[in-house]
Amino acid sequence: MLTKHVAFTTAPIVLPPVELPSLEIGACVEFQGIVREIEGTELLSGLHYEAYEVMAVRHLHRLFDEIANREACASVTFIHRLGWVPVQETSLFLRVLAAHRGPALRFCAEAIDRMKADVPIWKVARA
Amino acid sequence: MTHFDPIVQIQLLAFAQTAQQLGFREQSCEFSPDESPRRLLARLVPALEISGLRVAVDCEYHDWDAPIGAASEIALIPPVSGG
Repeated sequence: MLTKHVAFTTAPIVLPPVELPSLEIGACVEFQGIVREIEGTELLSGLHYEAYEVMAVRHLHRLFDEIANREACASVTFIHRLGWVPVQETSLFLRVLAAHRGPALRFCAEAIDRMKADVPIWKVARA
Repeated sequence: MTHFDPIVQIQLLAFAQTAQQLGFREQSCEFSPDESPRRLLARLVPALEISGLRVAVDCEYHDWDAPIGAASEIALIPPVSGG
């Protein structure tokens, strides 16, 4: 059974300490989405993020459960920052814990791809 | 026999560029449960171009032409870009 931590915050993301839920965990995969100075052709000082939070949270939980049916993972931690995020700061943090690296890497990759396709979160570029 | 459409209230939500276009993020409006999102939007904001948008009814993606049904919230979802 996958343990899920899904959170949105307007504060700078602080990476939570790794807490291994069992002695079986052999893989910890982490991803950070960092705001870049260049988005398309624009030189930015940051990005503004907004979300339809209630729908986003529901869809993220559903998405993670679905992926976990195929990729044996123990836990997922998802933190997305909203509001203004300056360049070089983290807008998204994802951590997946599993017994083996394969499922953890695949879970992480698919979760991010599908979040970017379907979960109602938006970035608005601001110079 | 005359069919009276039950008129009820629903919250219309807009996000990101759609909110900027419409000039509001949330607005209460009347609708009939057998109305589709397409007909509702055509009635409320006829000038809005919906081709690039998705629509969600009570937090679930919905078909533009299916009846809204007994719902409390309808949201216009422009292309998402999280991460």
